[in-house]
Amino acid sequence: MSSMVAKVVAGAGFTVLAVFLSLRLRLGLAREIGVAALRAGTQLAVVGALIALVFSYPVLSFAFVAVMLATAGVTAGGRVKGLPRARLRALISIAIPALGATGALLLVGAFDFTARSGVPTAGILIGGALAATTLTGRRLLEALVDEAGEIEARLCLGDAARAALQPSVRKSVTTALIPVIDQTRSVGLVTLPGTFVGLILGGASPAEAAATQLVVLLTLVAVELAAGMLLAELTMRALILPGERIAPLQIER
Amino acid sequence: MAGRDEAEGMRARDVGVTLGERRVLGGVDLRIPRAQVTGLLAPSGAGKSTLLRALVRLIEADAGSITLDGEDIRSFDARVLRRRVGFVAQTPAMLPGSVADNLRHGLDDLTDDALTDALHAASLDEAFAEREADELSGGERARVALARALTRGPELLLLDEPTAALDEGAAKRIGETLRSLCDRGLGICVATHDRHFADAWVDRREHLQ
Repeated sequence: MSSMVAKVVAGAGFTVLAVFLSLRLRLGLAREIGVAALRAGTQLAVVGALIALVFSYPVLSFAFVAVMLATAGVTAGGRVKGLPRARLRALISIAIPALGATGALLLVGAFDFTARSGVPTAGILIGGALAATTLTGRRLLEALVDEAGEIEARLCLGDAARAALQPSVRKSVTTALIPVIDQTRSVGLVTLPGTFVGLILGGASPAEAAATQLVVLLTLVAVELAAGMLLAELTMRALILPGERIAPLQIER
Repeated sequence: MAGRDEAEGMRARDVGVTLGERRVLGGVDLRIPRAQVTGLLAPSGAGKSTLLRALVRLIEADAGSITLDGEDIRSFDARVLRRRVGFVAQTPAMLPGSVADNLRHGLDDLTDDALTDALHAASLDEAFAEREADELSGGERARVALARALTRGPELLLLDEPTAALDEGAAKRIGETLRSLCDRGLGICVATHDRHFADAWVDRREHLQ
């Protein structure tokens, strides 16, 4: 049995085990686990085929990254309903830091200037920016409602609208950064992250895997910070009205 | 005399406010002279809070005119307007930190004496300065919010239902505080549906339909 077939069979085996346990313990998760496993298998097969195509025709890597960005923008935009033109603002917040950092990493030679390096690097950074954008946006929109009294009090005391919003903005970005900072702090102690594991399994030396993981993690911190701040800035620009006023919000929780 | 009236205090003429698709206020007139307590009387939901917010441009009126000493309020920097015309909300939010932190917000050069004066003017003991703002009762918050507004040196004060949820004793203290501020020359507008409070403390009445 080839290694690839063995991997698929092992994955299927563990899915069957999880479904069996769910049925046995009457958790009501059997169907959900089965559907999730089928979806994962199908999606990865499609993505694998697409990436194989991209590797054969590198120019397609731009289209592939564009689709990832569009999907991320739609996903994050859907999570920050209430913000005017949410999808566009989310897309901008994700695209600028993720693409900028990918370009920088390729330019300085941290990764080869190839589709094989560029697409996964862009993918992981887009994923991080998506998470930070969503978390910042959700937290900020909730804060603008929950802390509306404080914000109004600051305006009444003579603060500019931007200054009145700043405490809520700072808290939102800080909260959104907690997961990636924790991940960076605990790497190698609590978890072995995906890039490291993937490289080791792929035959890379531990030193090479560690260096790659390190650059990915540290880049992620910067990208997520930039994405969160960018979304916060775009949100403030959308909400601040002439006369140091703040537009009322209607958000879905 | 009409010119003199316009030059003193705040005046709203035929003011209208639309929030979203909804017309919240229309054709409202109001005068808030200095050195008097004006009662803005109306039942709950009539738009008193909206009108007070429009007077300090937290909400923009889309019809009519609002003037301060005869000048359109839109000609002022909104930050300056909000220092000249203090607004205390019905349930005033406290900023994080102590009462002193609240009073000093945005005023790095506020002296201890000025801080104490503001507390006294709001009928608060100076020991209040060190209290944590989020541990105060409703009545204490109302008075701290008043003291906080006073640190800006306002010429007019707008108070939205200042006695809501207060007992009779606390409401009386608020009334006495307003009377004392009024005697110092401040123009005060109290939006209230509490007719007993209005009977006891306001000099003139404006009715919002």
